[in-house]
Amino acid sequence: MNSPVKHLPILNQPEFDDIMAELDAFEAAERSRLGLDEEPVQFWRDEMVDLTIKQTEVADTTLLIGGLPKLADILIQSALKPLGYSVMYLPEPDHESLRYGKEFGNRAQCNPTYYTVGNLVKFLCQLRDKGMTSEEIVRKFAFVSAGSCGPCRFGMYVTEYRKALRDAGFDGFRIMLFQEKGGISQDGDQPSEAGISFGPKFFMQLAKAVYAADIINGIGYRLRPYEVEEGAINRVLEETKRLCCEYLEAQRPILLALLKARSMFAKVELDRTQIKPKVGIAGEFWAQMTEGEGNYRVKQFLESEGAEVRIQFVSEWLLYNVWEEGRDLELRVGLRENDIGTARADHHVGTYSIAKRRVGLKVFDIGMRATFQMFAKAAGFNDYKTQDVDEGRLTAEEYYPSELRGGEGHMEVAHAIDNAVKKKANLTLSVKPFGCLPSSGVSDGVQSKVQEKFPGAIIAMVETSGDGATNFYSRVQLYLFKARELAEAEVAKALSETGLTMEEVRAYLKANPKLNDPLHLPPHRAACTAADVVYQVHDHMTSTPLSRARARTTKLAEDTKGAFSVVRKAAPTMWQGAKLLAEDLRLEALDQIERRTGFRRAESQARV
Amino acid sequence: MGTAQQSLVIGLDIGSTTVKAVVIDRSSYEILWSDYQRHHTKQPEKVLELLRAIGEKHDVIGCPIFVTGSGAGPLGEPLGAKFVQEVNAVSLAVERLHPDVRSIIELGGQDAKIIVYKEDQHGNKTANPSMNDKCASGTGATIDKCMVKVGAEPGFATSLHFSTHALHHVAAKCGVFAETDIVNLVKTGVPKDEVLNSLADAIVLQNLSVLTRGSTLKAKVILLGGPNKYLPFLQECWRLRIPETWRDRGYEPPAGIPLEELIFVPDNADLYAAFGAACYGISLGADDARYMGVDRLVDFMANGRRARLGDKAGPPLAANEAERLAFVDSYKIPKFAPPKLGPGDVVRGVIGLDGGSTSSKAVFVREDGEIIAKAYQLSKGNPIVDAQDLLTSIRDQVTAQGATIECIGMGATGYAADVLEEVALADVNIVETVAHMMSAVHFFGDVDVICDIGGQDIKVLFMKNGDIANFKLSNSCSAGNGMLLQAMADQFGIDVRDYAETAFGAALSPVFSYGCAVFLDTDRVNFQKEGFQKEELLAGLAHVLPKNVWQYVVQIPRLASLGRKFVLQGGTQYNLAAVKAQVDYIKERVPDAEVFVHPHTGEAGALGAAFETLRRFQRSNTTRFIGIEGVLALDYETRNDESTTCHFCPNECSRTFIDTKRPDGSVSRYISGFSCEKGTVESNEAMLEIVKLRKQTAAEFPNMLNYEARLAFQHFYEPEPLPASGTMIDDIEVREGLLRIDRRKIRRPFERSHRDLSRVRVGMPRILGMYSEAPFFRTYFEALGMPKQNVVFSDVTDEPMWLEGSRYGSVDPCFPAKAAQAHIHNLLFHKHDPAKGRALNFIYYPLLNYVPNFVTDTMDNVACPIVSGTPAVMKAAFTKEVDFFAQRSIEYIDAAASLEEPNYLMRNMYDTWGHRLGITRDESDFAVRQGLIALKAFNDEVQAKGRAILETVEAENGIAILVLARPYHSDPGMNHGIPEEFQVLGYPILSIRSIPKTREYLDRYFKDELETKKIGSPLEINHIWPENYQTNSTARVWAANFAAHHPNVAVLDLSSFKCGNDAPTYGLIDKILSTSRTPSAALHDIDANKPGGSIKIRVKTYAHSLRLHEERLDDVARRKLELELSIDRKRLELLEGKQRQLAAMHRRDERIDTALDAVRARIRSYEVAFKPEAPIADPSPKLVQIRRRSASDLVTA
Repeated sequence: MNSPVKHLPILNQPEFDDIMAELDAFEAAERSRLGLDEEPVQFWRDEMVDLTIKQTEVADTTLLIGGLPKLADILIQSALKPLGYSVMYLPEPDHESLRYGKEFGNRAQCNPTYYTVGNLVKFLCQLRDKGMTSEEIVRKFAFVSAGSCGPCRFGMYVTEYRKALRDAGFDGFRIMLFQEKGGISQDGDQPSEAGISFGPKFFMQLAKAVYAADIINGIGYRLRPYEVEEGAINRVLEETKRLCCEYLEAQRPILLALLKARSMFAKVELDRTQIKPKVGIAGEFWAQMTEGEGNYRVKQFLESEGAEVRIQFVSEWLLYNVWEEGRDLELRVGLRENDIGTARADHHVGTYSIAKRRVGLKVFDIGMRATFQMFAKAAGFNDYKTQDVDEGRLTAEEYYPSELRGGEGHMEVAHAIDNAVKKKANLTLSVKPFGCLPSSGVSDGVQSKVQEKFPGAIIAMVETSGDGATNFYSRVQLYLFKARELAEAEVAKALSETGLTMEEVRAYLKANPKLNDPLHLPPHRAACTAADVVYQVHDHMTSTPLSRARARTTKLAEDTKGAFSVVRKAAPTMWQGAKLLAEDLRLEALDQIERRTGFRRAESQARV
Repeated sequence: MGTAQQSLVIGLDIGSTTVKAVVIDRSSYEILWSDYQRHHTKQPEKVLELLRAIGEKHDVIGCPIFVTGSGAGPLGEPLGAKFVQEVNAVSLAVERLHPDVRSIIELGGQDAKIIVYKEDQHGNKTANPSMNDKCASGTGATIDKCMVKVGAEPGFATSLHFSTHALHHVAAKCGVFAETDIVNLVKTGVPKDEVLNSLADAIVLQNLSVLTRGSTLKAKVILLGGPNKYLPFLQECWRLRIPETWRDRGYEPPAGIPLEELIFVPDNADLYAAFGAACYGISLGADDARYMGVDRLVDFMANGRRARLGDKAGPPLAANEAERLAFVDSYKIPKFAPPKLGPGDVVRGVIGLDGGSTSSKAVFVREDGEIIAKAYQLSKGNPIVDAQDLLTSIRDQVTAQGATIECIGMGATGYAADVLEEVALADVNIVETVAHMMSAVHFFGDVDVICDIGGQDIKVLFMKNGDIANFKLSNSCSAGNGMLLQAMADQFGIDVRDYAETAFGAALSPVFSYGCAVFLDTDRVNFQKEGFQKEELLAGLAHVLPKNVWQYVVQIPRLASLGRKFVLQGGTQYNLAAVKAQVDYIKERVPDAEVFVHPHTGEAGALGAAFETLRRFQRSNTTRFIGIEGVLALDYETRNDESTTCHFCPNECSRTFIDTKRPDGSVSRYISGFSCEKGTVESNEAMLEIVKLRKQTAAEFPNMLNYEARLAFQHFYEPEPLPASGTMIDDIEVREGLLRIDRRKIRRPFERSHRDLSRVRVGMPRILGMYSEAPFFRTYFEALGMPKQNVVFSDVTDEPMWLEGSRYGSVDPCFPAKAAQAHIHNLLFHKHDPAKGRALNFIYYPLLNYVPNFVTDTMDNVACPIVSGTPAVMKAAFTKEVDFFAQRSIEYIDAAASLEEPNYLMRNMYDTWGHRLGITRDESDFAVRQGLIALKAFNDEVQAKGRAILETVEAENGIAILVLARPYHSDPGMNHGIPEEFQVLGYPILSIRSIPKTREYLDRYFKDELETKKIGSPLEINHIWPENYQTNSTARVWAANFAAHHPNVAVLDLSSFKCGNDAPTYGLIDKILSTSRTPSAALHDIDANKPGGSIKIRVKTYAHSLRLHEERLDDVARRKLELELSIDRKRLELLEGKQRQLAAMHRRDERIDTALDAVRARIRSYEVAFKPEAPIADPSPKLVQIRRRSASDLVTA
């Protein structure tokens, strides 16, 4: 509240200046006597919000990055260097990071927050322990990360970063954010003197690194379980990582690096007749992506327990984000009035804004998928279909409304159903942090019904809290035991249906090395890869080169026919569309004429 | 290979408390040898013993060996065994021995498992397991501990039978909570059979409501594990509660089989996991798991274990002996040496008594402040007995020296204080926190932080200007405390007094994760398994203590910001290992800290009470205390039976009456064990009187949370009638092209369906987001023509409702979300009553994903994912096995509704209800508009009331308490009546909604920031928190900022356990409120069970702070008035001087005359209002009354 003492108005007149001066002095003395001269009440404002790196500071600042799978972080470091930034990726979060996160973060956070926030604080504290002053650290380093609009705690990570950094003594540490859904040009949101450009170049480099990391990780998890010589795949992976970094830093096409990797992968000897249950990893984004202690290294653990792991990709999560935007748009198209001022409706306002946005999102979506496939083809990650988020929506619709957002949204449930119905995995391991709002609070509740409706499927929901690894592993082993039984049953069924023995299959593979090519994936029939191999061998045995050629031709013809039928079915709509398009163009032309000639049509006068 | 090696298989189950072993025949599966023994945390030793015993009977060298259990991990390799996951082992055993079993319930030492078999269309069974490895609800260890607390003699529990006759509340969610409840029951004199039955019931219900994940436990049900096998009352409880769920869900168990066979305990129930492990081995036919004798195990025990520890271990407590000696030298608490008294001396002084939860302490302090005698004992449960014992000890210490006591008063604190105030007429009854503060300040003067670690809780007080500026208390969750150290010492058979010496002997220590005591014990088991020795475990645990205090309870990472003078007190400080860890922790973070240990650390609370009594006596020179002999002569009777049960509400609290007769013949009754004020009385008349008084207080000190919670679900807005068919309305026609969208204004007739909705009934849960949005939905249906009584909300959350409807959930989120199942159950089973013509046609639980926000600069306005997702979870829960809705011909609708987008909302609502009700789009749109008007009216009404409260407290220099919480914390079942506790103390309660949001009102409080353009509007918060996309979190932060700006608003911050949206704002809100020095108290982690004791101590301590704040406000107001008066007097003097000056010059200025008149008039009016000699206002709560609002919107008398 402001001072309650009011001066009399007449004191403003010059002849009373002496009175006024004396009164002021008296008031000051009285305030002091009465103990009323305390400092006025202070109000908190966060001075760490919106700190940026100025152009003049770029040369002396190291950008820290982290939070994605390790390989992605490493490749991003290389990818951003050619843009003139000094970049350093943070080491993989470990238990110490969790400890730092808990000490300096808020209580009751989820463990992705603790691990990632704690990881940054730990790194900075270690620098300080080595003798750098806090001021130096604040001046020389900044952190770059993605921001989000929720709805879960993910969007509030930055709040947590600021709190932890401040409490750990790094007041004023700069955190640079780009928005996960902000598009590829976010410079407009930045002050003019900003030294880091979140423009197309930045995001293109980021994308290259993320896609390459996804593909390399994908191949690694696909091949490693079946390697004959232990460690062979990891050696190639190391070499691939080195190559990719080199190409990215030299700004050479990364596809060339992937092509080189392809030939290395092709040389590794595999035995895909080993019966390994396939485990589809799903769940909360960070908990399932990370390969460190944040999920007790569950993927490595699964492999060590004899499973094949089917991972998900960072780029697929981006597809979900793009889909969210498109879906929100479609749900609101054609409202009588736009709900201006809300986060989802602002882009509906103009006459053409919806069309523009639709096209933009579609191009983005296609671009992302094409990039993935291009990288995948180059590296030999064959026959992988990126997830169709809208198809997932239909799959999960009965259980999980797609309007529910956060985490993986409906995709977690869709994965569980798909893995069961389409036999994509013997076990769906849905990994989530303890207390994860969308995943353990909602998805798990819904998945209990999915389990009930698909009683033969093994859908395991496991939470990670940072401690209690023993219990976690024990639970995973429990489900894996059941999954192994399923995998064995699949192989037994395949052998009995084909009348083959495993020895015969192995002998045939030896005689037909093409079928045993590491980069060649047997056609999908069962969840377990060994069962697919059996079927493939049998198909190959019972066919001739001619019949196989005929089969390929037939398939091609069917695909073409399918495509034609789609076109034929869509023709009336397309015709309708063409007419509407023509009508649109006509109206647009009239509008243009009006604007240029001042001529007014009756119908346009009533337009809103 | 011999025949034995071919035919025998060994199965070992190494659990957290026991080791079980079997030797079976691989062809017949017959158990040839078995044993079951407790390992007392010496797993390898016990395994060795059992294997040697096997070896004596069977030639098992070379036999396959399989191990299972939580302790099996590191022993597999030295045994040459293969590990089998325990649930797999158990389910394999059951599948082999009992193919007709559909459900398995196994209670182990530290975990519980439920396995439910689901069958697919081909009859293949899949086991669906669920384990409580995340939060330790009822398990064997909990039962064991409670058995000790109850004092059950051997054989008592194994012969006890279950009865529902008298069941008391026990929180089984967490083992530690259960223990606390059990201790309280024992203390209030509840017989042990009732206590154990209550515990069994709580464990069974907890498992049924959480661990089954909403699945029905179909028959046959097999009960396994030690507790299930040995405790008949537990078996009987399962046999009572499981069939209840069958009836609820319409499940018919196989006919003609007696219940004892449907839910049965097999012979060897404790051997199933070991047997299953062996079965697994047989099915595997593994050759790589061969038992080759005990040599490798012996070697592992001697060398292997220790070799692996170094990397993971933490430091010892002291780096070397010199450091230890130096520390002990400076921190050892000197032995208390009472002053020598001479025969015939009369010692005049006061008694201070601290009746703690685990121990009671008393001191006798002479008039001059010197401590004459101290007494200590473990609490026996009855505060009068405890007080009598302590006073006897004190008296005897004095009289033994030939001296006598002249007692001039008594002060009490702790849980016994209320009883002693009532029956012994103690002069002082102060809350523990204040008692501790007084004691510390007495000895150390200007202290910054006082950290008191008692048996069951941790209290940390932050001081400013000699008083408590803020405080943090544990015990909402069971973080480590004194009991934990004691329990650990007990487990190793070490006297707690030898704890420090043992722990100092460790050269390294395992790194425990801090926090929940139950998890710490799990860690302990794991560390032991890894080979850590007891001294190392004790050292490791001592290291946990400061982490639990500063990181888990206090949550202030920068210790230095609290100050540099720390006082440690509480009984735990006798343990120098704990002190060393604390001191090191503090000094590492505050290098110039001074850390003191209270010289009478165990009696700090009692001393505080004594000092306060002395102060009182010195001021008033009187005492009402009945005297030491009076207390010793108290005649009392304790009763806890059917006759003392409170029947004034459905909670049916089991109360304890303590009837006391004083030596002078006066009597009093003290009642304990109730959960609300109603429990304090015995007759209906007295209860009515209480209710009347309560209502009166409520009228005087309004509680906006209650008001809002009522209003939200009432019919308070009369919607306008639907326009007649053909009424011309304005509309917008939308033409969608392929690329463009055109809109044009049109006028057209309103379309009516003329549907009669008078018989349609819609039920909605009174839960979560509905506390904000219910007025919209009610009005929507009413505007369409549905009678108001047909819009039905479930009842207000209460314990009976929760207990009845809580067994359907498949997830364990925050309590507000979990309670949704009880509300849907309430609608299905109570509100839907076709027999009485009250059938529900729909249960509508809208998925509210976006909700409107009053803050203007938000990133987005989303609802919490749990809030918006719960309708889908409920749909799954109530349709997964049985479709409860279809059974009753009710349609369940969980369609999305975005309330922040009116146009989109119209589309949503028509899509949802158009075809279901047969209404036209025009009708639906009209109803939406009416609903939005109702929502605005709701907000306006609540804000008008809030404004009246704010203006009144401001005018009267009073305080209103703003509750920072989510809208659904207005639900009395969610807030546990905590706001009411403050209301009763005389503080009006404001909700966030009730703060006026108009610029006209708000700008005055944000004037400086608006003028300096730091903000553009008081409704902005980007300068505080830019990640503000979550409506209710944003509202909380904004409201905290408002409180910071309003001098008469204090804050009560409530938040639910597991609230992921509140958690990131804790630090932020703390920063906002501490910067502005706004009084605040926080109760985070609110859950299903109401921690009465914890709430009470917080309320009392906060009330103390609030009273001080009020005094300060009064004081400042008075001084400001004095300043104004003083300035005006000076002004008068100067003006008169000027006037005289002008007169001397023969001039006269009329303006001076006018000014003088005005100043004189003002001075006269001040003098009437301001009386400098008046004493400081009485700290007792003032009456704040809501006055009537005038037309000009100002509050008038």
